[in-house]
Amino acid sequence: MHADRAAARAETPSAATVHSDAAAKWFLISAISYFFIVGIIAITIAAKFVWPELLGTVPYLSYGRLRPLHVNGMLFGWLLAADMGLTFYLLPRLCGVKLWSEKLGLATAALWNVIILGAVVALLGGWNQGLEYAELPLPLDILVVIAWVMFGVNVFGTIASRKYEQMYVSIWYVMGTVLWTAFVYLTGNFAVLFTTGVNQANLNWMYVHNAVGLIFTPVGLALAYYFIPKASNTPLYSHKLSMIGFWSLAFVYVWTGAHHMLHGPISQWLQTIAITFSVMLLIPVWAVVYNFFATMKGQWHQLRENVPLKFLMSGVVFYLLTCFQGPMHSLRSVNAIVSKTDWIPGHAHMAVLGAFSFFAIAGTYYVIPRIYRTKLHSEALANWSFWFIMMGGLGFFVTLWLGGFWQGWQWNNPSIPFIDTVVALKPVWTVRFFSGVLIFCGIVMFGYNIMATAIGARGEARQEA
Amino acid sequence: MLRKADNSATFAVAAALGLFLIGGLLTTVVPPLVDKSWAKPFENHDPAKGPTGKLRPYTEQELHGRAIYVREGCWYCHTQQTRTLLADTKRSGWRGVDSPISTPDEFVYDNPHMFGTKRTGPDLSRVGGKYDTQWHRTHFRNPRDLVPGSVMPPFPWIANNESEFQALVAYLQTLGRAKNWRPDNDYER
Ligand code: HEC
Repeated sequence: MHADRAAARAETPSAATVHSDAAAKWFLISAISYFFIVGIIAITIAAKFVWPELLGTVPYLSYGRLRPLHVNGMLFGWLLAADMGLTFYLLPRLCGVKLWSEKLGLATAALWNVIILGAVVALLGGWNQGLEYAELPLPLDILVVIAWVMFGVNVFGTIASRKYEQMYVSIWYVMGTVLWTAFVYLTGNFAVLFTTGVNQANLNWMYVHNAVGLIFTPVGLALAYYFIPKASNTPLYSHKLSMIGFWSLAFVYVWTGAHHMLHGPISQWLQTIAITFSVMLLIPVWAVVYNFFATMKGQWHQLRENVPLKFLMSGVVFYLLTCFQGPMHSLRSVNAIVSKTDWIPGHAHMAVLGAFSFFAIAGTYYVIPRIYRTKLHSEALANWSFWFIMMGGLGFFVTLWLGGFWQGWQWNNPSIPFIDTVVALKPVWTVRFFSGVLIFCGIVMFGYNIMATAIGARGEARQEA
Repeated sequence: MLRKADNSATFAVAAALGLFLIGGLLTTVVPPLVDKSWAKPFENHDPAKGPTGKLRPYTEQELHGRAIYVREGCWYCHTQQTRTLLADTKRSGWRGVDSPISTPDEFVYDNPHMFGTKRTGPDLSRVGGKYDTQWHRTHFRNPRDLVPGSVMPPFPWIANNESEFQALVAYLQTLGRAKNWRPDNDYER
């Protein structure tokens, strides 16, 4: 146990190291900008469900083109960029050295922005590869691979030069993210191009599932493992438990892609394998979540004042819930009701917004004042941003679950005409739209607060000079 | 043993990749080798074994229509799979006849695949032959003219572009037609 505690605190700051954090800064600032811009698109497509004629005569703004922009923009423009920025902050500190190359990091951030802007043009123009999460056309895919290699070189360069021999959990998760993403991304964007039909779908779902499971999950957990102990000033509860969580994730996650095709035209035995491993996912999830809750034991009162901690611990609860839903959906009987319904976007948003974006927002609130060596522009506004995103998020998730379940129930009764099941969902989509507006207001407060902090700090620095 | 991964980055990398690749390879590379129906186009001449028919490759025009289907993101709202659920075979059915369930050998020429994940609109895996060209034109101009309460977006730029419109409809009419399952009251006859 003693060693565990020591490992948890492995990153005693070394007075000698002064971090420039330039790459982290640029990744975070651009990520927040995309969070805001893509948020507008999100509200627009939610509105189209309430008013289907909205912007209906403009091909570039039709639902089929805005939806992939929303998904890719949030996943890669906001979340992955924020995750990379925060990694550039925590990794050097955990290793006790400077980032291997700030210049390379800045170049990566610049390239990432080129990719996202290219994605906007391509997707609005309808230049879409037709595979979920892999919509971006090939030239952009190649740039993503180059950017990822640049990111990976920086990560492993920093780890190789580390001062502390023992690596804290977050470092394993970051390494896992870099490696697994490489394989998962190549499968989903390149290997698929050589296949057709069910074979292609199988590779596509392997990618879609693991984009969440082996990209956003490990990097999200790397953040949570770093920021929960930091923000609460409490050592991690158990090193051993974190090992169980990590290594079972490494083994179990990749098997489950075919659960996206349950009851569909894909081999039954593959469906059964996917179900079995989907249920086993409960192990890594509970190991991780127990560890976080045990860390917070006796510290919960801190949640009242501490905005990053609010985001972190609500993120943990959403993570637990999403990862409980996932295995349940993969059971054939439950799947027959919820699959293909509006329940699924409810589930997906709880994972990507509720869990992983909460971790990234918490990290940003924690990191930005430290990078700029100043105080957050407004604690009160930060608290408001939490409640707006939280309330909007809950409204969004819960109405879609209820609505989706009801919809699935109706679909299973073929005497109900399909269009009646569409009309029945309209109140649900209206609530979803207004919940989206709340979330967006929260995003604006978050973005404004961070930008005001950054700009204010620059102003101060100029006055001193 | 995994303690070693705490201090050795090389060991951690090898273990993380090794564990990942076991499942990765077994679930992606192996299944198409084991299940041949993923790659063999559907063909059956024996009514005792279920619906007869033969899957044929898409024509130039149908491929063009398919590209429009991909470009406009129809697949975000429409699935193309009649699953092994009773309700699916009824909903994809036609005038009281249940549709056959979808099998992998019906999709061999599909690239990109269009199975889909979300049914905002109905499944389209058996929509071929259900409606005539005039119906589709009116529907693309404004779905609510035909189906009040629909949330499908209007696609005037397709309805008004003759070659795109014809191509898209030609593609839609192929869907689910490899299997001869409809009783002989298709609109075409
Ligand atoms: C926002 C979601 C959405 C998008 C995008 C969408 N649809 Fe639809 N579609 C629907 C809904 C809802 C219905 C059911 C009501 C109706 O018939 O209009 C429907 C019905 C249909 C039908 C009739 C199916 C039947 O069995 O009655 C066809 C055919 C169709 N859509 C084709 C398309 C094509 C082709 C595209 C792309 C150009 C497309 N849809 C894009 C939502 C969508």
